[in-house]
Amino acid sequence: MGNRYLIVGGSAAGMAAAHTIRKADETGEVTVLSNESHAPYFRPMIPYIITGKKSASQIILNGSGVFTADTINILTGSKVTSVDPAGKRVTTGAGDIFDYDRILFSSGSRPYMPEDIENLGVDGVFALKTLADAEAMAARSETTEHAVLLGGGILNLKAAFALLEKNIKVTLVVYSPEVLSQLMDPEDAYLVRKALDEAGLVIKTGCSARAVISDDTGVCAVALDNGEEIPCQMICVGKGVIPNLDYLDGTDIRIDKGIVADPFTACSKGDTFAAGDVAVTHDPATGDKTVTALWTHAVEMGICAGLNMTGKKTAYAGTMGIMNATQVADEPFVAMGVVHTRDKDLEVHTDRTDHYFRKMVFSPDGSRLVGAVFVGDITRAGLYRYVIREKMEVERFKNHLVNHTLHYGHFL
Amino acid sequence: MSHLKEIFARTDMCTGCQSCRLACAVAHSDSKNLFAAIHETPRAKSRVYVEWLDDQIKVPVLCRHCEDAPCINACIAGAITRSDDNTVITNDDKCIGCWTCVMVCPYGVIGRDKSVRKAYRCDRCPDLEIPACVSACPTEALIYQEVDQYSKSVRKNVARELVTKEGG
Repeated sequence: MGNRYLIVGGSAAGMAAAHTIRKADETGEVTVLSNESHAPYFRPMIPYIITGKKSASQIILNGSGVFTADTINILTGSKVTSVDPAGKRVTTGAGDIFDYDRILFSSGSRPYMPEDIENLGVDGVFALKTLADAEAMAARSETTEHAVLLGGGILNLKAAFALLEKNIKVTLVVYSPEVLSQLMDPEDAYLVRKALDEAGLVIKTGCSARAVISDDTGVCAVALDNGEEIPCQMICVGKGVIPNLDYLDGTDIRIDKGIVADPFTACSKGDTFAAGDVAVTHDPATGDKTVTALWTHAVEMGICAGLNMTGKKTAYAGTMGIMNATQVADEPFVAMGVVHTRDKDLEVHTDRTDHYFRKMVFSPDGSRLVGAVFVGDITRAGLYRYVIREKMEVERFKNHLVNHTLHYGHFL
Repeated sequence: MSHLKEIFARTDMCTGCQSCRLACAVAHSDSKNLFAAIHETPRAKSRVYVEWLDDQIKVPVLCRHCEDAPCINACIAGAITRSDDNTVITNDDKCIGCWTCVMVCPYGVIGRDKSVRKAYRCDRCPDLEIPACVSACPTEALIYQEVDQYSKSVRKNVARELVTKEGG
């Protein structure tokens, strides 16, 4: 009999691992336990479910990208409730028991719901995390005139544009002084902010929600900590995510803000591995331990874990704590590595115009690139990521980094 | 998959004439004709780039269709896949223009078509026997060969250069 591989979680990391294992070990038995009701899908695509531009069947994983292997046993609606690493056995909420030879913890994360906001449990309050959430938001949006989004991160911006497209008035309530505070300093977001303002988004910064006000239709207003009360029929909470670790309570799997994985994606117990939003890994830009919640990282780490699980020892290159790209309205942007530079001992070069913004962040001695922000013009951003990740000595092409004229020829 | 052909670039042969760029843009235009393509909107785009290093060396750069392609792993829409002939393809219908591929490509060869908000890159001209850029190159700086065949020719060239140098 072949190896029994068990994968907890059916999203980016888990499915990338499953497909990698399937291709590397033809006789192994690959089982994925997913607590969601839908078959695995491209999670970042769920804003398109709200607009109706994509259907659930158009965003399924199987057959696209790295997800092209066959015969993976995917069990949806299977929430793992406990693990016995010594006995190599897991139990699900329905009482089903699965024995395994090697297990991957890729249970992802869930939205952080602030406890200090009263009455968050009512109808019409969402956090956009799953396809089911998106479907529920789409349904609620039919009777929504005004939606209030709490948090100014990239996910809420995507949700905001989805709702604006449906002619719903959208107000973004942001505690930070500016949107996208995780990805750039407030003064660096001016072009993004202009694009958001022009798109018709109402943005209130420096305040947060205190309580949700409801009637028999669910949410009908939100009370802010500045005394303001905004009538609305929908609230979407985008305040970051926390890793799903509850099922590991009582085990001796080492946890420190997430599941601690070694450079080969292995956990502290034999035959256990971790990947994706639940895993603590290292940031090649800063050297710090980091947990990220990015699709791209989860796929890369899942592939790496899959290889390690089949015995092909593969080191994981690490994840930049900050790395993301998208486009809001007509403004594309990329932020990666060290991007917050206020009052820090770093060599920083910025170029601020009405059409583009860029910031190149170097180590204090100026010898290495450690971070970059591009807004408006993101041409060849991947080269800069490579320079950061590989910790390249930049002296011979530094002027090209600063002036955004770097090309592949400079690496030769 | 080493038996499949790839496009190789020789920096020692490239004169920076840009013929490859013109041919690439025409091959990816609607009309497939230079004079008509100039008037197309949006304008046809080249997927090959010729970079200048100092004033001496010209470097043709295009998608390497990497074996372990970061763009395939990164794509949040499932729009990038590897086809049977080992070419990495961006599916226009699925691409949403999130630019994650642009953020991770270590060669900087994924372009952004702003008018339609789609990413584009070299597709090795699937309908042509030889990719348009290779056919157009007057100095054979772009070569369409199998990996084994190409590396053999590189070794021969190096050997020849060594002999010439030692002899001279």
